Amino acid sequence: MQATLEDFFKALRGGDLEVSLNAQIDAARAVELVGWRDRALLKSALGATLAKTTPDRALFDDAFERFFRFSAFENLSAPTQDPPAQSAQSPQNTAATGSGGPGGCQGSGGQALSQLLLAGDSAALAKRLQQAAREVGLNDIWFFTQKGHYTQKIQQAMGLELLDREISDAKRQTLAPERARELELARKQLFEEVRNFVERKLALFGTAPTRQLHDDFLQSQKLSNIEKRDFARMHVIVGKIAKRLAERHSRRKKKRVRGQLDFRKTLRQNAAYGGVMFETFWRSKVVDRPRVVAICDVSGSVRQYARFLLLFLHSLGEQVSDLRSFAFTNHLVEVSDTFESLPVEQAVDKVMRAVGGSGTDYGQTLLDIEARLLDDIDRRTTVLMLGDARNNRGQAQAHVMQLLYQRARRVIWLNPEPVSFWGLGDSEMKRYAPYCHIARECNSLAHLESTLDALLRTHSASA
Amino acid sequence: MKTLHQPHFDSIDGLAQRLAGVDYIASRDIATAVYLGFNLEKPLLVEGPAGVGKTELAKGMAEILDVPLIRMQCYEGLDESKALYEWKYGKQLLYTQLLKDKLGEMMQGAVGLAASMDRLHAHDDLFFSEHFLEPRPLYQALHQERGCVLLIDEVDKSDPEFEAFLLEVLSDFQISVPELGTITAKVKPLVLLTSNNTREMSDALKRRCLHLHIPFPEAKLERRILERRVPGLSETLNRELVAFIQAVRQMDLKKQPSVSETIDWAKTLLLLHAEHLSLDMVKGTLNVFLKFEQDIATANEQLPTLLQQARKDAEMPRASHA
Repeated sequence: MQATLEDFFKALRGGDLEVSLNAQIDAARAVELVGWRDRALLKSALGATLAKTTPDRALFDDAFERFFRFSAFENLSAPTQDPPAQSAQSPQNTAATGSGGPGGCQGSGGQALSQLLLAGDSAALAKRLQQAAREVGLNDIWFFTQKGHYTQKIQQAMGLELLDREISDAKRQTLAPERARELELARKQLFEEVRNFVERKLALFGTAPTRQLHDDFLQSQKLSNIEKRDFARMHVIVGKIAKRLAERHSRRKKKRVRGQLDFRKTLRQNAAYGGVMFETFWRSKVVDRPRVVAICDVSGSVRQYARFLLLFLHSLGEQVSDLRSFAFTNHLVEVSDTFESLPVEQAVDKVMRAVGGSGTDYGQTLLDIEARLLDDIDRRTTVLMLGDARNNRGQAQAHVMQLLYQRARRVIWLNPEPVSFWGLGDSEMKRYAPYCHIARECNSLAHLESTLDALLRTHSASA
Repeated sequence: MKTLHQPHFDSIDGLAQRLAGVDYIASRDIATAVYLGFNLEKPLLVEGPAGVGKTELAKGMAEILDVPLIRMQCYEGLDESKALYEWKYGKQLLYTQLLKDKLGEMMQGAVGLAASMDRLHAHDDLFFSEHFLEPRPLYQALHQERGCVLLIDEVDKSDPEFEAFLLEVLSDFQISVPELGTITAKVKPLVLLTSNNTREMSDALKRRCLHLHIPFPEAKLERRILERRVPGLSETLNRELVAFIQAVRQMDLKKQPSVSETIDWAKTLLLLHAEHLSLDMVKGTLNVFLKFEQDIATANEQLPTLLQQARKDAEMPRASHA
């Protein structure tokens, strides 16, 4: 029983649901209480203990259905017998195989594989399949390339060797060609079933580690090299990063300063007690949430990056309450509303369509900022610029950057180009960089995260 | 620490039946989660849209366990002094004033500041004892002799700081008060937390709780709820009404009608002596279960189709029975 539960936890991880040890213990106790008999009951019980949010519950339901479905050998056509018993479907059966213990598969204790196949005893076959799977450690399967290997090993563990010998024996005996043909057919069926079984298990167990691998790859990869089909997955990763950052930095709003009495407040509040100071109030630090103005270049030169930068802005907007986002190529456009009202894919597409395209004009954009945005920027605001500073040889208007630098708490410039390229050709980065608190190269998700983490940390520390 | 255990809950169906006995019709999912929360002695985090009976569940549980229900409504700015305990400043002040003479007497003969202080020290704990303590919901819940059902309502409205403060209560059923030491529950209470998902709860809190999501009920369950809650409602009307509400929930509305609204509407229709849903009657009573002007306008547009659909749906199960 325990082994089955553990397999299920593993399958849940494959379904992208993290199960804590605590929850596992609860689940085990819950199963003890409700038993394995009633499938719906088992599902509610495990669901209540393992899934901790409503979206998690949906993931759980899906994984449960896949894991506790047991259809191996269901459509085995038995020549002599009626269709097999229903018991193969109940979780009881799946569980029972766990307690069977290793060994004893090769037909020494039970019947020969050939007999089971010919008799069409699906319950016994299913049981033997499970046992064999556990023996060869099928739950460690990772890649689809391992499918053949595991299929072969499971068949062997189920007693394929004996079956093969019987087939060759039957072939040699000229009297039993019928039997040989039957056995060969059964062997084919066995192969199909085992292979299907392995495929299902791969889908259950194999997804978690490979996805992790894929995620690691995406994180370290240059943003421009990531293909469009990974966009959805990137969104999940970026969302996670944004959430992590926001969580880390929006907590602890109030930090008490021990030992410093807020005298005014204490006096005021205790006036009710005739000036006797019953209640004391201590000074507290108020760490405000980050106020961010993000301005993102979406022109042709940064096309590959723009999607991800916008994606990141969108995710950040879901986490940080006070974020205004702008996009520009040759003039400034506020996109906060678009981001708030539309789901991410559509929002990014819409912004790219509406704003992107023509040549960049940083000069005009900066003048726009001066005209429209400067009044809103004060010493609590962080200005985040995302772009390559390639100005097509226009006016740099660096004095606006200077104004920003003087007014804002921080000016941060994230440039997708490596530092050695800054200032080469039409890049104005060398002129803007002096007016930034931080100017950094940023072209992978790992970069983005570390930069923004540093940004938010200094932000809350200096508050 | 004793546990709140009653022998009646030896099975999930038994629990569901007892809940039905106090007019709470629980789905299997709900009954299972409550049963587990009860037997594993873990708090239950109940989520779901407003008005599906999260709070009612706690009331029902308190009723069948025959213990008090202690309810703590969470809101932004809720802190320990409002949730756990507070000193009765007024009473302390009054007593010091009244006992001024006594204090004078006590101080008689003491020479110097140090000696007076020593005498005072002998009594100072008197003013910070339980007599001067104003118990708040959490404190009360831990002090119930026979246990209780503690309902922490809309926990998502509280601040993260308060959520962290709750952790000790939820995992160990105890609380640390600087002046009094650690208070442990006399009898472990059954804790229900409700959340409307306005923000996500922290992992630490989620880990300590079992999770139960109550969705809008299916038609069958909703009919049973109406039967219980609105006795006297004819079966025809019950069927039509539930089918209508279920159809309305499929629409794109700002606020979908919940079970409590269904009940309100049923009561209204009962008062109007309705036997069937008629167009005029629905039109006149839309505002009972739709709370936004905009929603009412949307529903009004599609009223005839909705009504027709509802009648058809109401007929269907009966036809299949026959």
